[in-house]
Amino acid sequence: MGKDKGKGKLPEHLELRRDFVTCGDRLNFNVNTITSANTFNAMGVDNSWDFAAFKDSFQIVINKMDREVMEFDMIGCDPAIANALRRILIAEVPTVAIEHVFMINNTSIIQDEVLSHRLGLVPLLVPPHLLEPKLAEEAPGEKNTVVFKLDVTCRRKPDGSLENDKVLTSQLEWLPGGSELPEETTCRFAAGQAHLFTASAADAAAASTSAAFAAAAAPPSPLGSTSGPYPRPRAVHGDILLAKLRPGQTLQLEAHATKGTGKEHAKWSPVATAWYRLQPVVALLKEVRADSEEGKVLLETCPGLFSADEATGLLRAGNARGHEMVLERLRRLLEQERFSSCVAYRKRKDHFIFTIESSGVLHPAELLAQALDILADKANNLRDKL
Amino acid sequence: MEGEATDFFAATFSIEEEDHTLANSLRFFLNKNPHVAFCGYSMPHPSEELVNLRVQTTGKVTAMQAVKAACEDVSQVCGHMRSTLQDAVHKFQAEEAARKR
Amino acid sequence: MSGYGTMPATVTMGVPYICGQCGSEISLKPGDIIQCRECGYRILYKKRTNKVVQFEAR
Repeated sequence: MGKDKGKGKLPEHLELRRDFVTCGDRLNFNVNTITSANTFNAMGVDNSWDFAAFKDSFQIVINKMDREVMEFDMIGCDPAIANALRRILIAEVPTVAIEHVFMINNTSIIQDEVLSHRLGLVPLLVPPHLLEPKLAEEAPGEKNTVVFKLDVTCRRKPDGSLENDKVLTSQLEWLPGGSELPEETTCRFAAGQAHLFTASAADAAAASTSAAFAAAAAPPSPLGSTSGPYPRPRAVHGDILLAKLRPGQTLQLEAHATKGTGKEHAKWSPVATAWYRLQPVVALLKEVRADSEEGKVLLETCPGLFSADEATGLLRAGNARGHEMVLERLRRLLEQERFSSCVAYRKRKDHFIFTIESSGVLHPAELLAQALDILADKANNLRDKL
Repeated sequence: MEGEATDFFAATFSIEEEDHTLANSLRFFLNKNPHVAFCGYSMPHPSEELVNLRVQTTGKVTAMQAVKAACEDVSQVCGHMRSTLQDAVHKFQAEEAARKR
Repeated sequence: MSGYGTMPATVTMGVPYICGQCGSEISLKPGDIIQCRECGYRILYKKRTNKVVQFEAR
């Protein structure tokens, strides 16, 4: 939000309209952001872009962060930027996913094309920056393709139990030397990819048992994960069921993974999803006694949000964060004039509660950093072309 | 990308291989520019990778200069957000370490 | 069939099928009765090609 640069202050009612969405029982008011530089000229308030003011007011506060989910508050930024970041996170941060499946044999119940589709959706732990995006006319090779093999046969063991009756993603085997069927797949490696990834024995052992899979996995570090060594390429989760087999059934295939973006197909999206919502604020518009008719109803329908001040006997509105269920009940109350005249439910227009759910390939903080770089690159590219 | 000419005060920029992501960000910064009288964008067709960005200035700067300035703003803001993020991550990690201790 | 050159190999060799009942392999030529020679079952399945088949993972 543009800050008044000391030239003048907006009247309170206009400031409220500029900074908050007001939530009514049926619809929200003042939902648009006031962007035009000259909007408040008549009041002597400059609404033009001010980088120094942005620098002063912009904040990121991380509430929750692990290797899969990050929730943070992004304060002092316009929805145009917040939404650009959300869109980039979903559709433009590149990852590696299986694109071509070469089916050698499949006697299982699951059809070739259905299995191929399932394979494509498996998140792969391959650092995307190690590969180049493969253009349609380019030949597959070690620069743009990572090759996996799946060769599983189910059989009945002497004790009667089944072996390999469930095909899991942990059984996908990375081929550092490239395709074993170069004639059919036209994918030829010159030197192989083994040097790109450190193949520690512990890592390989961990991959063999699906339970230890996740635990032993090297956690992707937040920010600056562009330096190695990298673990051997594998699926992020080793316990995803790909197919079920009966004794005698076989699955033999080769899967070629390439780099892409979510724009082309959702399997390349690095996030389960990324979203934001606005910071809710509940304000009392006038003094409400806790023992009044309205006060009692508010205390009862919105427990935790409102409290009674011991000393004055007046109602107090607490922090609306964390009372989301109660807020929707408050919204219903606002259809009655007696409540809408004393309570306001608002949302700050420049305070985003942003959540990034990573697919597990990259750390969510790293994803955000990359998204910012991508947006800056877009702008720089355009400037250079003008 | 296809511009009209370099010294027009009003111009439509056809930006290829871009969408709302960049166009809306540019629109925001252009509108925040006091020398821009009007700025808006449209996507002629959702399945075509093309946006048309219309810029009209008050005459103090050319449309080209205004768009360039907006690009600078976007990349400057991204740079600042990135360093803010870095600080926030370090802060969170320090707090996390303190919590575990 | 005249004018088409040599007859396809499948006509002379027969196409391999698998019986839906007993699982035995049968080779059928055009005009043959669709029936398993071992058990007489009439549901036969075509054998999978031994070529590699490419799929798009989409």
